[in-house]
Amino acid sequence: MNENLIPQDGLRLTVNGTQRPASAPPDTPLLWILRDVLGLTGSKFGCGLGVCGACTVLVDGEPVRSCMSTGPEVAGKKVTTIEGLSSDASHPVQRAWLAEDVAQCGYCQAGQIMTAAALLARNPRPTDADIDAAMSENVCRCGTYQRIRAAIHRAAAEMKS
Amino acid sequence: MSDPYKTNRRCFIKAISTSSAALVLGFHLPVAAKPGQGGAAPAKGFVPNAYLRIDPDGTVTVTVTKSEIGQGVRTSLPMIVAEELEADWSRVVVTQATTGLGFKSLGTGGSWAIGGNWTPLRTAGATAREMLVSAAAAAWSVDRATCRAEKGSVVHAPTGRRLGYGELAEAASKLQVPTNPPLKDPKNYTIIGTRRPRIDGRPIVTGTATFGLDVRLPGMKFATILRSPVMGGKVAKWDDKRAMTSAGVRAVVPVSSGLAAGVAVVADSTWAAFKGREALDVTWDNGPNAAFDGEAFRKKLEESSHASAIVTRKDAVAAGTSVTAARSIEATYEYPFQAHATLEPMNCVADVRDGRTEIWAPTQAPDRIRERVAALIKQPAETITVHVTMSGGGFGRRLGVDYALEAAEVSMAVKSPVQVIWSREDDMRHGHFQPASANRMTGGVDAKGAPVAWKQVKAGSYLSIFGPPSAAERASSDYWRDASWGCYDNPYSIPGLETGYVPVDSPVPTGPWRAVYSPSCSFARESFVDELAHAAGRDPLEFRLSLLDPAKKFKAGNLNIDQGRLRSVLALAAEKAQWTRKLPPGWGRGIAGNVYDGDTCLAYVAEASTGKDGSIRVERMVCAVDCGIVINPSGVEAQIEGGIAFGLSTVIGGEITIRAGRVEQSSFLDYPVIRMDQMPKVEIHIVPSTASPTGMGEPPVPPVAPAVTNAIFNATGKRIRRLPVRLPAAAGGEK
Repeated sequence: MNENLIPQDGLRLTVNGTQRPASAPPDTPLLWILRDVLGLTGSKFGCGLGVCGACTVLVDGEPVRSCMSTGPEVAGKKVTTIEGLSSDASHPVQRAWLAEDVAQCGYCQAGQIMTAAALLARNPRPTDADIDAAMSENVCRCGTYQRIRAAIHRAAAEMKS
Repeated sequence: MSDPYKTNRRCFIKAISTSSAALVLGFHLPVAAKPGQGGAAPAKGFVPNAYLRIDPDGTVTVTVTKSEIGQGVRTSLPMIVAEELEADWSRVVVTQATTGLGFKSLGTGGSWAIGGNWTPLRTAGATAREMLVSAAAAAWSVDRATCRAEKGSVVHAPTGRRLGYGELAEAASKLQVPTNPPLKDPKNYTIIGTRRPRIDGRPIVTGTATFGLDVRLPGMKFATILRSPVMGGKVAKWDDKRAMTSAGVRAVVPVSSGLAAGVAVVADSTWAAFKGREALDVTWDNGPNAAFDGEAFRKKLEESSHASAIVTRKDAVAAGTSVTAARSIEATYEYPFQAHATLEPMNCVADVRDGRTEIWAPTQAPDRIRERVAALIKQPAETITVHVTMSGGGFGRRLGVDYALEAAEVSMAVKSPVQVIWSREDDMRHGHFQPASANRMTGGVDAKGAPVAWKQVKAGSYLSIFGPPSAAERASSDYWRDASWGCYDNPYSIPGLETGYVPVDSPVPTGPWRAVYSPSCSFARESFVDELAHAAGRDPLEFRLSLLDPAKKFKAGNLNIDQGRLRSVLALAAEKAQWTRKLPPGWGRGIAGNVYDGDTCLAYVAEASTGKDGSIRVERMVCAVDCGIVINPSGVEAQIEGGIAFGLSTVIGGEITIRAGRVEQSSFLDYPVIRMDQMPKVEIHIVPSTASPTGMGEPPVPPVAPAVTNAIFNATGKRIRRLPVRLPAAAGGEK
């Protein structure tokens, strides 16, 4: 039997500030641990190839494609999902998203918001070029890019003031 | 206290008796189909298809019968009700209609959610408002003429007394339902026409909105399907031995109800299903399409566009009109197969049981799912309930029902609730597609530069997911007119204008895609208008305006074309873009307009720049639109921004190619869609209007590509006649 397929019962992950048991075969992508094991469905499946960004979460503050990393790779690190950014939409990025009325279908937005939150954490005053560089790996098929850009600038202004 | 409204036994609105003290009105909305698409049959008895409920706590609940696919209907439709109801918008909540409640039609498509519901929803809100006013007048024993509704309350003007809708709900629910309640004058609107953020915004930004893939049921299994790589292929034999030993796999079952036959792996988790699928051994019977070649089909379309066509329009030439062309030109415009590439891949949860089946689907077609699942599982439709979830994009893909049939088939086989999930590769390869087509254009201008001839012949396919045309339909101009919006409804006045269609069948599953038939036809038409203008030595804007009479309205097929409205948006877009302003070196400017399906008029001026390596960047899109009364400006603008992104994706690289019966693309790597760094600056100008509102989901798409390719011509002198644009190798294009 392939040992990769033996559920790793001892796996514990720190997700949104809480240690949680996350039994799954060790090759299971973090995305599916979050969605199918921990019941955190806010992170979305878009491609499973790391090319759309819908599954983006923060691992120790850095944006990570959860479809491309596994449980063992993030064990001992702090995983933050959209549910952990704030549950009451009080994070400045979430507030800016609501103020700019960014979402259309909304499916990519968790990944967009997590990527934007990471950008602003390391670069509090991003230029348009900085935004292009940070956000161009996230697909929005509905095309909300203009509003995402406006929301990032808005959040930056709010976080500074 | 007289009540001016008499009860009409045949009225379409009824108070629904409930055990609670709520005012619940069930509405039969006589939502007409669009002209030419068959009218809604009159209701027999009372068939409500919308509910408005006002609870004693003042909460106003609107049941929305259209699917939210990103176009904002769960916000805009309740806004219409709330306006006439004089509701407090902060107290309005939305519920999503399911099948089985007697609603007449839950389908969402054709940019018809607003246009088709405008009058019924206003009437619904106004009816409830009048009942609440009557209830308040009765409670105060005053003349109802001295009472008025405002922001969730009824106010007695002379005394300033006020009763909230919640307090009035029970009394109002016992009143007779008035007919023909007065509708508000648009100049008094306080909700319609104001920017209202999406009602689902908060759940979306906190990750709590429930899309199809987020549905979780007790005991639910996860399944994924290995489908025939060749279109129309079948499973010859399959061996589940290896798959069944894969961790978490519970069952392996064949599936044949969708667009492609295959074998499903049912497991305890999504990942276990994906892994189990990798271990499947399947031998395929490739069937008759293993030799189908997309490139050969493209050539066949081009050749067919020269063939004898079914005439879809032929304008008489007025006596005395000169039709002698001093200069004639011809060109063929080609449009490839396109995928929808919704970011949420196809999926569906089904729980099939004897006598009670439930389906949860991100879908635009819950009624059709119910009907088709009923036939599949051989149970009465009344025993099937379809719950409509949020959809991660739609674009017409979810007007198909294949994903739901597969889920029902798998659930029936394993006797368990099952979520069937498509991988990105499945989604890119095994859905239905926008049909490829070729448009053959011929035209001429006279010695003075006026157009004196125009012929557009489209060669393409019908939407196969809805079944092939009958023999009578195949010979009918009406059928092929409907397959060529943007062609036969040419809005310009050109003597001797003629359009036609050459049907070319293919084995490729084809179906609705955003703007349906229009993008390919409009690309050809608006590009060729440009070509004619240049042949005549005239400015493309001035040339267009000269062919549009501000006062002229005419009918093309069943569609109403208002030249004045189109003329206005073209002129407005040009003015706002400063059409005659000099651009930097290497930049170009292009214009295109469209009357979408006889309704919304929309025009763009595009500005594009070219790099030394031949690369092209779309810098700016200036839009002018006339969609009648605007319900939610934020929503209208969002649809334009998004429509531009969708249209640009067809310019920069979107193309489905087929070799040996197999779709070659598999993800966003080889089916590129526009990204943040490619998004141009978008400026939007809305024409104020008091006309009834028309759709905005699809109309922004068709004029995008020709506006951009006309700009590329302006910048480079290179006329783009085939999408997507093929960049030179130096700019990362074809080698």
